[in-house]
Amino acid sequence: MGADLFERRAVISGVGQSAIGRQVDRSGFQLTLDAVLAAIADAGLTVDDIDGLAMFPGGGKANLPGYANGNLYEVQDALRITTRWRQGVVEGMCMPFHGPAMAVATGQARHAVIWRTVKEGSAARNAGGRPAYGSTNPMAEGPLAWLLPVGALSPVCQVAPYAARYMHEYGATREQLAWIPVTQRAHAALNPDAVYRTPLSVDDYLSARMISTPICLYDCDVPADGATAIVVSAAETAPDLRAPVAIEAMAGVVDGRPSWEQWEDMGRVGYATAAALWERTDLRPADVDVAQLYDGFTIECVWWLEAMGFCKPGEAGAFVEGGSRIALGGELPLNTWGGQLSGGRLHAAFGHVAEAVRQVRGEAGARQVPGARVAAVTNVGGYEAGAALLTTWSG
Amino acid sequence: MAANVGIPPAVTDESAAYWAAAAEGRLLVEHCGACGAESFPPYGICRSCRGRATAPVEVTGRGVVYSLTVNHQRWMPGLEVPYALVLVEFPDHPGVRVFGRLRGCEPEEAAIGMAVDVGFEPGPGGCAIPSFVAVAASPDHGPGSGPAVPGAV
Ligand SMILES: [Zn+2]
Repeated sequence: MGADLFERRAVISGVGQSAIGRQVDRSGFQLTLDAVLAAIADAGLTVDDIDGLAMFPGGGKANLPGYANGNLYEVQDALRITTRWRQGVVEGMCMPFHGPAMAVATGQARHAVIWRTVKEGSAARNAGGRPAYGSTNPMAEGPLAWLLPVGALSPVCQVAPYAARYMHEYGATREQLAWIPVTQRAHAALNPDAVYRTPLSVDDYLSARMISTPICLYDCDVPADGATAIVVSAAETAPDLRAPVAIEAMAGVVDGRPSWEQWEDMGRVGYATAAALWERTDLRPADVDVAQLYDGFTIECVWWLEAMGFCKPGEAGAFVEGGSRIALGGELPLNTWGGQLSGGRLHAAFGHVAEAVRQVRGEAGARQVPGARVAAVTNVGGYEAGAALLTTWSG
Repeated sequence: MAANVGIPPAVTDESAAYWAAAAEGRLLVEHCGACGAESFPPYGICRSCRGRATAPVEVTGRGVVYSLTVNHQRWMPGLEVPYALVLVEFPDHPGVRVFGRLRGCEPEEAAIGMAVDVGFEPGPGGCAIPSFVAVAASPDHGPGSGPAVPGAV
């Protein structure tokens, strides 16, 4: 199956990251250059090989202080390259490498870089706390007009009703779901680049302050400073690349109402995207060796565990309880870099993709899943959702 | 009542009628003249039959909480916490769900499935925001109370 899928004509050739931390004393522009140059080197390419540039989100879109992508043309100018394809998107990202993969699969570029740079850790420090979503604008526009005026001032408040509804329908408990952040923290201890690496216990989780019920502090990802870049190359260039990774399949379906508060069925999210993904591959959930599931909040991991078929609907609480299934050595090691909950909110699955690439290459160091060949990676959830399978390159 | 802290809405051609009615304590959604379905937020098109002949209609009936959260975080200076936010659906208005605050009970008493009446209270920038009223605590439904007056601002 799938020889004619566009994503099979593309590979992920490089991933690179800047220094990552709660605060990194370096401008967003420098972090971007650090990550882009690292990713190009990781691919085994030179800067002059790059002929496509993209960033997420596109220019001018900043609902939170600390969105630090910069300007695409300034990055191109600084790199002194010629591009044949450029993109900055807000809607329709699916996975970070979706647009670049389309570009190289259709011959518009041969090697395209996409980056995401955040200085949200510094922005939160400067604001004296995590700022309100949309507070970069004086008025709440578009869908935010139904959220910010009433006091749903953060993605926490917008996602929390999903968690409340999920727990109401299925009886999942905070004691069960705690094992997602707790297990991911244990993984972060093995990742020198993770923001938080000290052990976290279920008791710590249960005694943490509520942000917006039932979401507590440790259910929220960590505002961070850092940049991630991903190089996507045409598959026919594989002989020139250091360690390409295959894109087995990807999908991003927006079904339900594309709105945080209007999404009809808040107990179930991501199912259409996951179904479309599995239609594009002969692989099955049981073939996945390691999962990097988007975790802006704990509940987003829950959605993806169920939607992707790693467990049945409503059973994620039991699946993660005790942590053994989702820990290194378990049947589905989850967010082996710590995820955004402990590794840092690198946003939009850029950190998840970087880790998936390292895992299927066998380059994940102390947190390597032995023999990992198939990684699942997902992005966001809710109305915008993306999912992909990355596999070890076999030529 | 002091206005709630928040970020005010940018009022559009599509939402102007909603915000104007909100200031009068009335909840407007969009009604389709062709098929009778109701839509929210207002887009000037029926989300059921895609008919363009829509007009505002007032929701007066009792609502039911679909889900909720109690916010404890002070996202903006001066924001008073905690407060409950509820997603309310209306048995008599299928297809309509409205996000708003909850009053008339302690935030911790908010629950999925609880009945609420429509109400509003002062919001940021001079607007009025939905502030649903827990039915058990609503004086409109106490013994000897008069007819329900949906939420004065
Ligand atoms: Zn209609």
